[in-house]
Amino acid sequence: MSSDWKIAFKDKLLAILGPQGVIYKDDELIAYECDALTGHRVKPVFVALPETAEQVSSVVRECYEQNVPYVPRGAGTGLSGGALPTEEGIVISLSRMNKILDIDIPNERVVVEPGVVNVSVTDAVSSSGYYYAPDPSSQIVCTIGGNVAENSGGVHCLKYGVTSNHVLGLEVVLPDGEIIQIGGKTAERPGYDLAGLVVGSEGLLGIVTKVTLRIVRKPETVKTLFATFDRIEDAGASVSGITARGVIPAGMEIMDNLCIRSVEEAIGCGYPVDAGAILLVELDGPEAEVTAQMPIVQSVLKDHNANEIKIARDSNERDLFWKGRKSAFPAMGRISSDYYVQDGVIPRSKLAEVLGKVGELSKKYGLRVANVFHAGDGNLHPLVLYDGNVEDEYHKALELAGDILTVCVDSGGSITGEHGVGHDKKRFLSLMFDESDLDTMNLLRCSFDVKGLCNPGKVFPTPRTCVEPGMKPYKEHPLQKKGLGEMY
Amino acid sequence: MAESKSIKEFISILGAANVTTDSSGVTDYSIDGLVPKAVLFPENEEQISEILKVASRESVSVMPVGSGTKRSLGNIPPSLDVLLSTQKLDRVLEHEARDLVATTQSGVTLEGFQNKLGENNQFLSVNPMHQAHGATIGGIIASNASGPLRLRYGTLRELLIGLRVVRADGTVFKGGSKVVKNVAGYDLPKLYVGSLGTLGIITEATLRLYPVPERSETYLVSFTTLEKCAETVMELLKSELVMNSLELLNPLLVNEVTGRIGIELKRKKHALAIRVMNVDKAVSEQMALVKKVCNKARGQGVTVEGESENKLWDEIVNCPWNKSSENLVKLKAGVLITDVARVFSELEELSSQRALILYASSKAGNGIVDITLKGDTADLASTINTLREYCESGKGSLVIEAATPELKSEVDVWGDIGSGLALMKRIKSNFDPAGILNPGRFI
Repeated sequence: MSSDWKIAFKDKLLAILGPQGVIYKDDELIAYECDALTGHRVKPVFVALPETAEQVSSVVRECYEQNVPYVPRGAGTGLSGGALPTEEGIVISLSRMNKILDIDIPNERVVVEPGVVNVSVTDAVSSSGYYYAPDPSSQIVCTIGGNVAENSGGVHCLKYGVTSNHVLGLEVVLPDGEIIQIGGKTAERPGYDLAGLVVGSEGLLGIVTKVTLRIVRKPETVKTLFATFDRIEDAGASVSGITARGVIPAGMEIMDNLCIRSVEEAIGCGYPVDAGAILLVELDGPEAEVTAQMPIVQSVLKDHNANEIKIARDSNERDLFWKGRKSAFPAMGRISSDYYVQDGVIPRSKLAEVLGKVGELSKKYGLRVANVFHAGDGNLHPLVLYDGNVEDEYHKALELAGDILTVCVDSGGSITGEHGVGHDKKRFLSLMFDESDLDTMNLLRCSFDVKGLCNPGKVFPTPRTCVEPGMKPYKEHPLQKKGLGEMY
Repeated sequence: MAESKSIKEFISILGAANVTTDSSGVTDYSIDGLVPKAVLFPENEEQISEILKVASRESVSVMPVGSGTKRSLGNIPPSLDVLLSTQKLDRVLEHEARDLVATTQSGVTLEGFQNKLGENNQFLSVNPMHQAHGATIGGIIASNASGPLRLRYGTLRELLIGLRVVRADGTVFKGGSKVVKNVAGYDLPKLYVGSLGTLGIITEATLRLYPVPERSETYLVSFTTLEKCAETVMELLKSELVMNSLELLNPLLVNEVTGRIGIELKRKKHALAIRVMNVDKAVSEQMALVKKVCNKARGQGVTVEGESENKLWDEIVNCPWNKSSENLVKLKAGVLITDVARVFSELEELSSQRALILYASSKAGNGIVDITLKGDTADLASTINTLREYCESGKGSLVIEAATPELKSEVDVWGDIGSGLALMKRIKSNFDPAGILNPGRFI
């Protein structure tokens, strides 16, 4: 495309959004070059900052007509490069659409714009005794729109589910600019579950401009237990031991020794630095249930050679237990200049086995791997530590991380539990899905986005085109290609 | 269709023993009064794929069913060629108890599945209609059936984590995975929950399970008025109680259900059935709290547990359909939790004006109202239209789940599907370009 196109397009964006709604200066565009996957950067042509669904629709329609690819973006905390801009494309940032529109306690619903920060939803309903359950570690910054795109989880999804279990309705701007309403405040509506499809679609099926969320009643009691082990395999085996006894904790988290040491060094929350692993188990619910289940958990832990077992006496101690876990990623900076986060999932019952294999891989590559993970749902976050200044170490780290995913998939698991495929893991998608699986996903994408302009180049290992029944594949007119003509 | 030619091909794929074409055999599988030309019973996924290839090529319409308990759901088919039953895909493939996950073929009945899971003291947390009549896992997924347990555990949407499907052109694909947390690729299992066989034939499902709770107890409690019931519902919902089911029942249903299982409930008025499943002590403590809330509103109740409790819930879900379904109409309304009582009283008024027989129950904590009506077709039609308007004006919906063909030709089955309809149609035509899967019945 010629740059004439850009001048005309900028004017269109300015006409739709006003001067405050368009970023076009080079030094300001830098902030949008990447999300939290900082190893890949592409500078967008422009950034659009719409304030209403109608503005989003107008911008998208403009992109559709001019064949300009676009990438939706929330707070940019994504770890898989889902918001990485496309060459010669624009970014549509939803950060200015950040209003809570409706709080309906009796119906247990909150309606928000996509730019609302995750934790603000809980803050808004907390005084009524409710909360919004999905709690990704980035919840004080990440937005609901981003959570919807990635189908975010958190530390409590074993019992309470992930974002898709809490989204009842969406307003979506489809890739041709049409605004549709999906679902709503009621639990059921006739028709296909479009909300279920859009949640977790990583911004490939449209731009969400309104979200209806389910909120849940705060539990009567919360109790958190902290246990140490010599061997991480024992901690892992405890986890499936607990669920096998019929107990479903709100959350179960494991950290290995490397992780414990870095966390302790970084924030000093009282973790024993000589422990091989720490397991956190949180039970919540009616007091009598928690009281009855805690001894069951303790006995399972003892059977699996737990050393120290502590139950938090009050919410302060509980917060302290969790503080270490929640600081695990940033704390890695204490022991390694760089790290790469992986997000594989395995069946709970294979935890001990897979952790052993990850250890072997770490030895093979000569790189340290710190393990911190949502053990309850088998969602591993191995942190591959490397030094970016050492030649080739980054690539070695990526290779190791890739091998870990192969181990996860071989054990019957998944390449990503909550961070998404994005740009980062698209080459691994075919570990899980064969050609006909991917072809089926493409049928879906083509039902939404025939031109493939909405966050292109993400998720799928190879680009695919759309052929609709009775329709020829879309081709640009030669005049359009040269930037000499427009399509209306 | 090129009928006889295609049927010959089906017979060569499946063997004559797995194709029913005799007139009494096919009549048993009629849909809305239409009789299929053949009923197919494939034994595996490969055969289903072969059949659908032929059907797509020859434009033969295929209605997928499990045991066929929900054949009346959907518009009257414009034509009916063959039914394809998944009944012979009847093996539970894998139950890894430590992972609380099981994979099963789609033709396994819910009852058979639960029995298998029960060996490890686990269960699939749904209790929909027609369990005793062989409702299958595939059918339950395709029709998004759940039941009163959804208050605690959600619907199939929450429980289905992976599946295998044969698409209309015969392509076999899998979606999701066998782990409870997975965001790789699109969430295709969600697309198939409630898709009514229009997007492919489900052959396998991987489902999330729960441990069977230590104890279960239900408090069946009646109130002087519907308003008292509704107030109690809101009181219970905002408490810290963890209830498994909270069902609001109309007087006729209360009367019928208690009569059938011999429960003495003095006051035959609107009632709530409140179920708590938990560890022993938590059941006792929570039930005490339930009773306290109910007593405040002058509820009169009985505690039901053990075998009678199972019967009670079976009756709440299936009554009156388990005795005779003749000329009965089933509706499902989805409304706001705070609108349940209003919809209930509107419904009661409409039915009494027209002398319709009404059985109604509501998953009051989910805003779902299940309605059974019996009466004159014209009266039923006007009741449904008025009630639908009422529900839709409050951003809700009303779907006909079962009705006579006469009634279905008078009123729309689905109501307003909303602004996503055009998109749904694009999905349907991309997944089934020849339009052979359950055409005309849904999307």
